[in-house]
Amino acid sequence: MALHAPPKLERYADIPYEEKERLFQEVKADPRFPDYLYGCYECGICVAACPSARFYDFSPRKIAQTLAREDVELFFYQLNEDVWNCSQCFSCNRCPRGNSPGGLITIMREVAVRNGLRSAKEALEGYSRVIYKIMATGTQVSPDMIQADAFPDWGPVAKETADNLELWRKALPPETMHTTSTAWEVSEQTLTELYLIWHMTGVMDMIKEVDEGLHMILLDVMEELLEERGYALAE
Amino acid sequence: MASDVVLVIGGGPAGLEAARGAADLGAKVVLVEERDHLGGTPVFERYAALTHGFQDAEEVMNRLAQEVTTHPNVQVKLSTRVVGCTGSKGDFHVTLTKVSDGASETVHAGAIIVATGFQHFDPGRETQVYGYYEYPDVITLADAEAMLKARKFVRPSTGLPPERVCFIQCVGSRDRQIGNEYCSKVCCGIASKQAIEIRQQVPNCKVYIFYIDMRMYGYWENEIYWPAQEQYKVNYIKGIATEIIQKGDKLLVRGEDTTLGRPMEVLMDMVILSVGMEPSKGTREVARILGLKQNKYGFIEVPHEGVDPVATSVPGIFVAGAAAGPKDLDDSMSMAGAAAMKAVAAIRRAIAVASGG
Repeated sequence: MALHAPPKLERYADIPYEEKERLFQEVKADPRFPDYLYGCYECGICVAACPSARFYDFSPRKIAQTLAREDVELFFYQLNEDVWNCSQCFSCNRCPRGNSPGGLITIMREVAVRNGLRSAKEALEGYSRVIYKIMATGTQVSPDMIQADAFPDWGPVAKETADNLELWRKALPPETMHTTSTAWEVSEQTLTELYLIWHMTGVMDMIKEVDEGLHMILLDVMEELLEERGYALAE
Repeated sequence: MASDVVLVIGGGPAGLEAARGAADLGAKVVLVEERDHLGGTPVFERYAALTHGFQDAEEVMNRLAQEVTTHPNVQVKLSTRVVGCTGSKGDFHVTLTKVSDGASETVHAGAIIVATGFQHFDPGRETQVYGYYEYPDVITLADAEAMLKARKFVRPSTGLPPERVCFIQCVGSRDRQIGNEYCSKVCCGIASKQAIEIRQQVPNCKVYIFYIDMRMYGYWENEIYWPAQEQYKVNYIKGIATEIIQKGDKLLVRGEDTTLGRPMEVLMDMVILSVGMEPSKGTREVARILGLKQNKYGFIEVPHEGVDPVATSVPGIFVAGAAAGPKDLDDSMSMAGAAAMKAVAAIRRAIAVASGG
């Protein structure tokens, strides 16, 4: 129960308390939770070590404190707002009590995504291109992502690079296999294994919760290769 | 003429341990206690578990008292007060009177150990904002001890178990306004220990501790503080309540949640004031009668505390336990052993000098 409701919590006043409590319990039920949260001194060493805290209104200490105090209202606010300001660098693991505020945030993000929270969709919106790329090809960025409209600050260089991409790539060492749609050559076996991992670990389900369109596109891409290799996807 | 008697004043933990120690070293001991029983504040105030180690306080004290009362070298005088003292090191004449009929006698002692202890700060005296004498559900650590010992932890106003309890730390300690500028040393540990006991006895009760600093030195850290927070889910909130107001049948506690940076108004069923230590009435009186210097708070002054923690301003008179300032049980017992050793050495030296040796 919240000790006192500060004004910012009113943003989520229309969400029933039971729903906030349900999500709180889902975070607490994660098997990693007991290893990520013992007790909090409120000493601030995690904030001192945190790069995000220097630039955003973000405090890993408050994440640990809120969960330790079982403050469901503040938890729900953080689940929607604070967790997306973390860069997941885990500098906060310096905690003298052995807490991992960053690990708690990992769990909270997963719960936010699994439950399709609007805030999670919004936070991840800008990443759909990267998510598509890494999940479909196994590499995070590729040369063909260099387009003039995506890099206006590059000036004419971006267009020149895009127009003559094949040529530019040929100038690079052969280890890259001179690919343009991936950062390097990814074998079909690697892709097959990756696709199976995305499916079996629930990552595809998480994608479905936050971006249905992306989920459909990914399914199409994956289905073809997996069927070719003898794996049928149960839908 | 030098005396081979060690007079111990006070029958609490420090006095009992000093008496046992001096007697074991072969000295004759007279132990004087104003109350009609031994065991001191832990027994008189009906403490539950000891803060270091969780043993039953009464059992531990009774065992110690038993060893003292059955010791062939110890003479125990209950319901007896010290009213006068003349002489000096090796040769004190101390006048005692019976509380019941005023009958007096004189004890000839070579050395004296003062173990007259502390009393709990009276939260109604200065900090009326907490309404100790106003609201039945505002109690002190000592009140809570007695309830936990009886295993009947209930709201005094209703007789029913509470659902939300908070401790307010540093009541009567670390406060220039009140004049007690010192830390009472034990309240952080006791509150945390009681919080564990409350969670054990009333599992559905939420427990909060409002504090300025948690001072859990040494093993209190991992033996009391961490389990309270991690295992028993006691909520520690840095920030001290400014006042308590009755609201319906609840108590509204107002303060600041400093680390979350927000004002705080919370409803509680019970509030436990973590009262600190002050010199007991007996400590002030005995210090005056024996001519011992007291510090500005009334505790017996120990001129060279760091290197000689039991010597007072008067040669031949030693102090043990909380008469010399806030002490936990471990410190009181250690001081008592040191005082016994020093007192026995003092009488032997005085006797040797008197016999020309």
